[in-house]
Amino acid sequence: MWLGFRNEGDSAVNVNPDDVGSWSVVVSLQSAGKPVRAVGEFFAMSLDTFVQMFKPPWAWREFILQTWFVARVALMPTILLSIPFTVLTTFTINVLLVEIGAADFSGTGAALGTVTQTGPIVTVLVIAGAGATAMCADLGARTIREELDALRVLGVNPVQALVVPRVLAATLVSLLLASLVCLVGIAGGFFFSVFFQHVTPGAFAAGLTLLVHGPQVIVALIKAAIFGLAASLIACYKGISVGGGTQGVGNAVNETVVYTFMALFVINLIATAVAVKAGAT
Amino acid sequence: MSHASTQFPRLQRTVASAIDGWNQLGRQTQFYGETLKGIGDAVIRYNTEVVRLIAQMSLGVGALALIGGTIVIVGFLTLSAGSLIAVQAYSQLEQVGVQALAGFTSAFLNVRLVGPLVAGIGLAATIGAGATAQLGAMRISEEIDALEVMGIRSVAYLASTRVVAGMIVVIPLYCVAVIMAFVATRVGTTAVYGQSTGVYDHYFYTFLNPVDVIYSFLQAISMAIVVMLVHTYYGFNASGGPAGVGEAVGRAVRTSLIAAVFVTLFVSLALYGQSGGLNLSG
Repeated sequence: MWLGFRNEGDSAVNVNPDDVGSWSVVVSLQSAGKPVRAVGEFFAMSLDTFVQMFKPPWAWREFILQTWFVARVALMPTILLSIPFTVLTTFTINVLLVEIGAADFSGTGAALGTVTQTGPIVTVLVIAGAGATAMCADLGARTIREELDALRVLGVNPVQALVVPRVLAATLVSLLLASLVCLVGIAGGFFFSVFFQHVTPGAFAAGLTLLVHGPQVIVALIKAAIFGLAASLIACYKGISVGGGTQGVGNAVNETVVYTFMALFVINLIATAVAVKAGAT
Repeated sequence: MSHASTQFPRLQRTVASAIDGWNQLGRQTQFYGETLKGIGDAVIRYNTEVVRLIAQMSLGVGALALIGGTIVIVGFLTLSAGSLIAVQAYSQLEQVGVQALAGFTSAFLNVRLVGPLVAGIGLAATIGAGATAQLGAMRISEEIDALEVMGIRSVAYLASTRVVAGMIVVIPLYCVAVIMAFVATRVGTTAVYGQSTGVYDHYFYTFLNPVDVIYSFLQAISMAIVVMLVHTYYGFNASGGPAGVGEAVGRAVRTSLIAAVFVTLFVSLALYGQSGGLNLSG
């Protein structure tokens, strides 16, 4: 399925180089159709991934290794990123709350900001910045060393052996990380509000559950899982379709970061709008 | 030759790795010092390179240029973040019946929180990661060593010029980013949620504080400096073939995101102070 796309692209390049006129036409057609073809290939690979997910043999070992790897590279950045993010949010919201004389509700603001927005966003920033880039670099290096072609020759489907476990691992880890971000974030907000902005600790704790209930937490977790899925799919696609040597891998990783961040904000907007419409925010 | 067996190998390894981490920190600081020192050289001697980099950074290279370059990407990010404010804030305010204040949330949150943070994320992802990829590829193919042999100050020529270019590029970039955020929140609140534009504009202009916008520019510029410093360091010291460049980009993005958010936080605290400098009553 997906192998067919690759072969088509390759055959387009095999035009007789002496024939300059048709060569330039092919080149210009290729460069014009490149983004469209990339989108198509991405969806083809995603579809392949979902199909292969339910087909044995299942790459358990690779899945566990990848889960461990993503969790290891993402854990410290998650904690380090979620603290300033939430403190900044809490600070900004508290300034407003103190001004209208509602400083006791700073816990509500912190919980709402952290669970509905900061938690999923920080998770995906880390998953995209730490996990997806490493995945893309790893797969890109393998593509350049023609290891994926070797796998195909051996009769192993690279999507099944490499992409599926990575995608599932990133989805699982981002789901788990989102809860960690929420915990660390609310704890950070608590310390900042209580010790720097002199909010009563009891009032902060009491306000936490005023606006944030079960549905909000579930929506946040679902959001994080979707982000992890999208980020890892983009990373795997960019990694598998790398070309052009060392600079190519660097560019692919760069594009992975850009595309995942853009996808993140769009998904977040849509998910939030759906959640608000469904009355879960 | 056989190695002599060492006493306490695990302890020695732990100590060695701790010392290595400490030295790494020192080397990083030294590189940042050299880069900042080289800014003078970059502006005086390598100004054509700075201009070239400004053009390259604002429009992007390769596939990123196809979708409009850095400006469009950062604008797009703040556009969606601004719409997010409309969605989230409007529904929250509606619950307590003060949805008229949606314009105020735009003027307050976009300037203080969303603008700097999202622009910093966009900078790290686009011009930062791009710089690491470029410099890393140069390091791997030994072009940086070639520059040194030719007698060109490589840190000033490659790293300082990028820091200067980043500082200059971020100013128009941030203008676009903030305008996009404002437009997105306004369109989201008035066109989608159906608030009258007069109400929105009234509260928006009442609470839009010009000093806050200038502060937010300061945050964006300081973030650009930090992001470019971190990213040029990781690109400059990439090693280990094609995979090494990719890993360097990943590590740089991770570090610069953390550094940029911490910088935003501290600059926020320093500029707005503990009381926050907000006067609702005017």
